[in-house]
Amino acid sequence: MTTPFGLAESNPQRDFPAGATRRSVLALGAIGLIGSHAKPAVAAAPAGQLTYGVHVSLAPTWFDPAETNGLITPFMLLYAMQDAMVKAMPGQLLAPSLAESWSATEDGLNYDFVLRDGAKFHNGEPVTADDVKFSFERYNGSDHAALKSRVEAIETPDPRHVRFRLKQPWPDFLTFYGGSTGAGWIVPRKYIEQVGDDGFRKMPIGAGPYKFVSFTPGVELVLEAFEQYWRKIPSVKRLVLKVIPDEATRLAALKRNEIDIAYSIRGELADELRHSPGLTLKPVVLHGTFWVYFPGQWDPKSPWHDVCVRQAANLAIDRKSINDALTLGFSRITGSVVPDIFEYYWPPPPPEYNPAKARQLLADAGYPNGFDAGSYTCDSSYANLGEAVMDNFQQVGIRSKLRPIERAAFIKGYADKAYKDIIQGASGAFGNAATRMETFVVKGGAFCYGSYPDIDALYPRQAAELDYARRAAILRTMQELVRDKAMYVPIWQLAFINGVGPRVAESSFGSIPGFAYTAPYEDLALKSA
Amino acid sequence: MKQYIVKRCGYSLLSLFLLSLTIFFFVRVTGDPATLLAEPGASEADIAKIHHQFGLDRPLVVQYALFMFKLAQGDLGQSFYYQTPVFELYFSRLPNSLLLAVVAMTFSLLVGIPSGILAAVRVGTFWDSAGKLFALLGLSLPSFFVGLLMILFFTVYLGWLPSSGSGTPLHLVMPAFALGWYFAAAHMRLTRSSMLEVLGSEYIKLARLKGLPQALVIGKHALKNALIPVLTLAGINLVLMINVAVVVETVFAWPGVGRLLYEGVSFRDFPVVQGVVILGGCMIVGVNLLVDIVYALIDPRIRLEA
Repeated sequence: MTTPFGLAESNPQRDFPAGATRRSVLALGAIGLIGSHAKPAVAAAPAGQLTYGVHVSLAPTWFDPAETNGLITPFMLLYAMQDAMVKAMPGQLLAPSLAESWSATEDGLNYDFVLRDGAKFHNGEPVTADDVKFSFERYNGSDHAALKSRVEAIETPDPRHVRFRLKQPWPDFLTFYGGSTGAGWIVPRKYIEQVGDDGFRKMPIGAGPYKFVSFTPGVELVLEAFEQYWRKIPSVKRLVLKVIPDEATRLAALKRNEIDIAYSIRGELADELRHSPGLTLKPVVLHGTFWVYFPGQWDPKSPWHDVCVRQAANLAIDRKSINDALTLGFSRITGSVVPDIFEYYWPPPPPEYNPAKARQLLADAGYPNGFDAGSYTCDSSYANLGEAVMDNFQQVGIRSKLRPIERAAFIKGYADKAYKDIIQGASGAFGNAATRMETFVVKGGAFCYGSYPDIDALYPRQAAELDYARRAAILRTMQELVRDKAMYVPIWQLAFINGVGPRVAESSFGSIPGFAYTAPYEDLALKSA
Repeated sequence: MKQYIVKRCGYSLLSLFLLSLTIFFFVRVTGDPATLLAEPGASEADIAKIHHQFGLDRPLVVQYALFMFKLAQGDLGQSFYYQTPVFELYFSRLPNSLLLAVVAMTFSLLVGIPSGILAAVRVGTFWDSAGKLFALLGLSLPSFFVGLLMILFFTVYLGWLPSSGSGTPLHLVMPAFALGWYFAAAHMRLTRSSMLEVLGSEYIKLARLKGLPQALVIGKHALKNALIPVLTLAGINLVLMINVAVVVETVFAWPGVGRLLYEGVSFRDFPVVQGVVILGGCMIVGVNLLVDIVYALIDPRIRLEA
């Protein structure tokens, strides 16, 4: 979990008009009603330079969709240099891009895509069905096995048509192909066969709005507008992504107009940014949810086995005050581990802060004087959140000790089921409500320390259900059960706070729901001099 | 003399071997790089694939043997994160680190030596106390704090200097000061103590008895001898500045070797950490070897004692 903590991107279809089902949407796609035939608008030639202060070192693997590892950070670069068949775009969480339309057969076994006429790679070669097939087969990143094992064959009857034949109906095919993986991001077959994988990463060519100019590892990446981009001609000629690891230095650079956009400015520095003349604070609420989890809930000897104790913990957290103090109130308080932009998300009632009721519940559970809850284990990057929650727990009598662990070690320990007592977890993984349940709720999930049979029984039922409404109903029931059992105590969806300088007319922050960075890049604009 | 040089070379090679052994195994204690390269909750198969890709699935002894075999051929391996040869990465950053180190060293010597002389000549006076305070602050204030204060003052309030990056002489000013101040304090302390020792020696007393002017006694007779340990330390410090200016290079986003080391540690990029430490170690061992040999050439007692 790299940027803010490894937050990843989802690509659900929940934002389609009310009442629309996946099938109706797919049918519309089939007849081209949602497929855009956009041609580059007549626009002025790109001009000017926009400079970023980036918080992480850029890795060459992020230039290559085949290596996408399920984190959100690589998409910062993919959205600039590459393009996908379908991807999240403003107003649409699954928008036609290189595919101008798509459709699924009634039996859910075939997905047909029609490629956009005139879409080109940076070397001038057209994007063809052959490139689509090659990109899928070459994909080796996260979930590649799950994705490929379900695809029987890819047919390319002509350069503009691609058919994916599935072995069995799989309602989440587009969630994976169009969102959570890099398999649907199209790379040029001929070029890669000519230069090889290493050559491609050194001089990547894509079909995105910006083409590669130069890369100095750990220092900067320079991109230039691709004027033949199908959607529109980018307005800004040159993008320079400078790596500035220190947050205070990024803010200073922004204040002095050395950079135009600074990623990830937190806490007091964000407050300073807010009060700086000429600078604009741009918070983006990500789909990275944070929660508190109790592995002891499946141990009859643990206090957490009692649902009243878990509900007391839920009532003890003053989320609003924590949000105001740590993220200037920009994070989104949530009562679910499923992000609100995910497909099949069920919005639970807002979480309540009621310490008196929490104490009463603890007393009812046999802990009138509270209890020693052991360690509160968390990713050290978010120890400040842990301290605040732990303090809230302490106020109702749940006494614990903070145990911050370096991020990678924390995640490994979490997945290895190495922690007891209390875990402060988070996930920014791509997907939908079903994928979130699979990883964190149902038996066998990568981060599940236990499960409940009634929820487990619903999981295979939803996975086999092709009817959108019926599947949504099952997933809603699952989410209700998770809440009723207080299996998790959700906290918030984190706000990723950024700064924008006075030269920028359009930063694109927040255009794509849940996306941390400035995309679409072709929409960026500088103020005219 | 020949035997002495061979012996010193042997010790140097042994030091480098021990360094390679230490860094190779120590860096592996920090954890598994695959957990940073794969997504959270990645499958065992995906983790195993990464281990295989980077040869981390082999026994440690085999990994070390391969590492040494490649090292003997001048190959430090390929960065896990940047997927670029470590040599290429190191030498792309080295010119920036050299530039920063030379400017910072020049600053530290220009400030440290005169202030050390002044403190020694005016021992027990205001100038001595001021020099000691300077040394105390220089050695105790962390460079990241000095760096951030400078950014706040010279970039944010005054707007005179760029906050970070490289490219113009102005970009050098703050990182060179932040890096050089610590070493200036160290040089000041050593110059002061060395000068005090020399100024108390018999030949200086004789020079004074002969009626030589104070400036001549200090500048010609005392300083020459007092500077020997200072310059020796400066040589070692220069190598340290090149390779381990981690904090200063990170705060100022200076694209040097120190920042490369920081990135290597952050991403558990074993080849990068190993490469930077070993190349830095080679420089330190090389400088020490050179100093030993030069000392032995100048002073026959050293090689005879050895």
